[in-house]
Formats: sequence, structure tokens, C-alpha cells
Amino acid sequence: MDIIRKIWNALPFPDQTKRLLIIFVFFITGWLVVRHHLVPPTFGQRGYYRAAAVDSIAALPISFVGQSQCVECHVDEGAVKTASYHRDVSCEVCHGPGAKHLDDPSANSLLPAKERTLCTVCHSYTASKPTGFPQIEPLTHNPADPCIKCHNPHDPKPPTTPSACGACHGEIARTKSVSHHASLECTFCHQTQELHKISPRAAIPGKPANRDFCGGCHSRSADSPKEIPRVDMDSHGDGHLCWQCHYPHYPEAL
Amino acid sequence: MDKLIEQLQHNLSQVVGFIYPNEIELHWGILVVVYPYITGLVAGAFILASLERVFNVKEIMPTYRLALLTALSFLIVAPLPLLLHLGHPERSFEIMITPHLQSAMAMFGFVYIWYLMMVLVLEIWFEYREDLGRWARSGKGWKKYLHYLLTLGSLDHSEKSLRFDHKAVTFITIVGIPSAFLLHGYVGFIFGSIKANPWWSSVLMPIVFLFSAIVSGIALMILVYGLSTLIRGKSIDMACMNKLASYLLYVLIIDLSLETLDFIHRVYESVESINIMGQLISQKLFISLIVVQLLLGTLAPISLLVLSKFLRLPDELKRLLFFLSAILVQIGIFSTRWNVVIGGQLFSKSLRGLTNYKMELLGLEGLLIAIGLLVLPFIILTVMVKILPPWKDQKPAVS
Repeated sequence: MDIIRKIWNALPFPDQTKRLLIIFVFFITGWLVVRHHLVPPTFGQRGYYRAAAVDSIAALPISFVGQSQCVECHVDEGAVKTASYHRDVSCEVCHGPGAKHLDDPSANSLLPAKERTLCTVCHSYTASKPTGFPQIEPLTHNPADPCIKCHNPHDPKPPTTPSACGACHGEIARTKSVSHHASLECTFCHQTQELHKISPRAAIPGKPANRDFCGGCHSRSADSPKEIPRVDMDSHGDGHLCWQCHYPHYPEAL
Repeated sequence: MDKLIEQLQHNLSQVVGFIYPNEIELHWGILVVVYPYITGLVAGAFILASLERVFNVKEIMPTYRLALLTALSFLIVAPLPLLLHLGHPERSFEIMITPHLQSAMAMFGFVYIWYLMMVLVLEIWFEYREDLGRWARSGKGWKKYLHYLLTLGSLDHSEKSLRFDHKAVTFITIVGIPSAFLLHGYVGFIFGSIKANPWWSSVLMPIVFLFSAIVSGIALMILVYGLSTLIRGKSIDMACMNKLASYLLYVLIIDLSLETLDFIHRVYESVESINIMGQLISQKLFISLIVVQLLLGTLAPISLLVLSKFLRLPDELKRLLFFLSAILVQIGIFSTRWNVVIGGQLFSKSLRGLTNYKMELLGLEGLLIAIGLLVLPFIILTVMVKILPPWKDQKPAVS
């Protein structure tokens, strides 16, 4: 005790700071001890994370094997699918994880993928999906039948070529049908090649590229029924194309 | 689930224009509003306390110790809204044991600990050491032992030792002023450095935060000092109140000027976000920004303080005006935090739409919890005042 007292008295600080110092040393030592025990040893080796986490994740059992493994055996299905609209949809999206099937195909069968609910994950109607993406309303589109009765999922072309635009562009067709433009055919404004029906992206329909097109009905001098709203094409709209401000499928919206 | 969908439907009905799906509901609610509000009060109260110590403003001496205790009470509560908001408070220690120097948010723990331990607690300890020793010697009951424990056994009351205490307090206060600036400037920095959000991203943000913090801290001390003196049945020191009110007025004017500068700068720059900002102010934030923050929370107290400063009014009326101004300022500064935190999330990053914030009443991030968090510091302060009486006009616990 005497030695401690001597050291205590020999320290060149006032008494109160020595006591505070003890507290601080206690806290900082505590922090270092906690840090030593709780920070994982590999933390910070490769960045601000536990480097061993990479090994832990790599050690997790593999469930999915990837399309390249499937087509080694299922050559025919692979060839059809690779050329179809579903080329970017991996086999296991519909058939489920295939790792066990790969190990022992006879003992571990995969899902046959017949359920309607599988297809509607992507193909049921949602307003935010891109225009032209094939969408159906599952309650009204052949509700009793499985999708694969009419569509081959490995090559999902429509069984018959759509005759009306609304088959794919249902939302637009429904909107237009209650608007003042209901009586106009889609092709009145959109120049559409036949090819668009079987390969939509290969032949994209056109849009009116100048103001005069709308002016054909809506300009002051147009030869059209008098109920149709008129604007002065020279001053109205500041040079913008009409559909940049007005939504032609529901023109009364603006 | 149904409740969530119901809430989503309600929110969707409030959406104007185009917004991204993850912007419909706000991620930062009222608890994140409470957090900068409370840290602002801490920084403001401390800066007020340091005026007496560093700049030798004798008039506000009666509020010095009270301001330190108030700052400490609020600082203890400051991290609670964040912990409640984030959930999993048991993980929060990880920011302390694996410091991430490049992340401003991850440095919060260190900024907080520095301010708590190296500034406030240390300053209070040196300031009270003499009294603690005296109370430990002559007190009674459990308080005697508590006071002794708080002295850390340091009972040396020689003149040299006390002189050291005084110097230490002054030194800590000098370090404390930039630390208080750091604490609250840091909170402003967190918002100001978010590049993707034009409502927040401004270099003026830390400075505006800081001055609004000083405003709220001074107003808080007017209320705490005034009410505590009334509760104790003592008379209010009008010289002190006048000085506090003058400081409140000056800092309010600086704060208003900075906010106006920020506003003019944004309007003059007129970058692409200006239209949505205009809609935000005129539609979603009209009440909280124009009416509450600007008119009620800034211009009204400035007018009241100017009136009380330049008219010959009786002390009672002056006190009433000061209290009223201080309350208005608190409401105004709370709105300021609201407008920053909530306002910054009400518009879409597409700059083409606005959403809505529906505050919960119950629940972990609801209004009741927020009110509880705002009341809690006053309970802590009451306990602290019992243990560490800040009044110089009486010596409780001394028989």
C-alpha cells in the first residue's frame, strides 16, 4: 500500500485529476477488452466487414445450379427455349431449385410447372409493367385452364396471332374505350406493320411526329365535326408535340 | 397486413404527381424529428452556459449550473429516439467497437461520447466538486454516500485545489464550445451532406442547425430558469432574464438571416429542383413552414422581444412576454426540425411528385413515444437537481 501511496503522491498532477485518470483508464481499458473479444478476428482484412463472412456464405449448401447444367441433358427443351421469348428466364425459375435433381435425377424430380400461379407471377396485369409486356387478367383469361394447355412455356408465342391491339395493350384499350377518342382505331395514329403482331419488338409502331396530325381534327381550320375542341395551332402549346402534354388515349385528362 | 394495406391506400390517395414506389411511405418519422431537436437544446443550453464562463457575462450566472444540468439531461435522452427508430438497440455498441472513420453516421457514438464524457460530465464534476465534498461531509442519509461516491474520494478543498477546479472548468468550456458546435453541426452535416436530396444538400445546413440550436437552447433556459424559480418560490432575477431575452433576440435575428440567405440562394440558383421545392413549401409545408416556423416561431417572438426591449414595460409583463416568446420559439424550432426531416422526404427524387406523412399515435414510432421522449429530460433534470442543487442562493443537503 505504501508503494502505491508513494507513486500516487509522486504523480505530478492534482489529486482530482489522478482520480479522473483512473476512471478514464478504466473506461479505455474496458473498451479495448470489449473490442478484443467482440470484434471478429477477420474484421477489416478486406474492407469494413468480416472477411470470413465470404467463406461462411460460400459454405452454404447450393440449391440452384443454373441453366447451363440443365441443357446438358435437356438438349431439345434448351434449344427451343434459347430461341424463344423466355430465353432469359432460367429453367429453375419455373421448375424450382435443381441441385438435388442434378445429383440424382431419378430420385429427385423437379416441379412440372403446370400451375397458373407460376405464370401469373410475371404475366398478371400490373399497370407499372412496360408497355407490350404480355399481361392477362387471370380471372377472365380462361380461368379454368392451366396456361400450358394453350401456351408452350419453352416457346410462349400466343397460340393464335392477336387480332386486336387490346389483346396485349389491354389497359390502353380499356382507357381509350371510355375516352372521347374511343371511336378512333389505334392504327389511325399508330402506323403498325403486320410483323408487330408476331414480333412486337422487331417492328415498333409509330407515333404522330408532328403537330399537324392532331391539327387535322383540332385546328381552327380543320374540316371536322364542330363538337371537337379547337385550338390555335400557331400559338397553342409552345411548339411541343401535342402528346407531350395531352394523353391521347384519354385526352380529357388534361 | 390489412392495416398496412389500408395505410398504403390512404397514403396513395395523398400522393400527387409521380413518385417512386419506395417513396410513398416515409422512412424517418417523428422520432428522427425529435433527435435533432433534442441535440439542439443540448448544444444551445451548453453554449449559453459557456457565455458566463468564457465571456464572463455575469448577469446570466444564475442559469449557469442549471444550463449544464439541463444540457446533460437532454443529452442522456438524445440517442433514445435513434435507438427506438432503428430497433435492435442491442446492436448499437457495434459502432463503438468498430469505428468507421469515413461514415459520418457511424461516428455518432464518438461525437456523443466526447461531448458527454469529455465536456459535460467533466465540467459538471469540476464545477460541483467542492459542493459535493461539503455535502458528503455534512449531509444525511443515502445522499451523503451518493455525494461521496460522486466526489470519487477527492475531498481536497485547499485553495490551490479549488483554483485548479476553476481553471479546469474554464478550459473544458473553451474546448466545449467547439465541441457543442461539433455535436449539433454534425447533425446538420448529416443532412447537409446528402447529395441526392436537394432539400437537405446545402453547406449552410450545419450552420443553420447550429444557430437554431442556440436559439432553442436559450429559449429553453428562459423557461427552465423561470419556471424552476417560480416553483421554488424565489423571485426571478430580471437582469438575468433581460440578458437571456437579448441573446435570444440577437441569435433569432442571425438565425432568420441565415435561413433567408439559404432561401434566396436556392431561389437564385434555381436548379431543376426549384419547382418541386416551391410545391413542397406552398402545399405540404405551408402550415409548418410559413405559418408555424416563420410567422409564429420566428417573426412573432422577434416582435415580442423587440417590444419588451424598447418599451417601458413592468417586469411582470416583460416576464410574460419572454415566456411567450420562449414557448413560441420552441414550437418554431420543433417545426424547423420537422420541416427538414419530414419535408425532405415528402417529394420524389424524380422531382415530379409529392407524398404525405401520416403520423402514428401509438406504436414505437408514434406521437406518444415522441412526447414521452420530450418529457423524459425534464424528469431526469428534476432528479439531477435534487442530487446536484444548482442554486447558489441556498445550500440544500447542508445541515
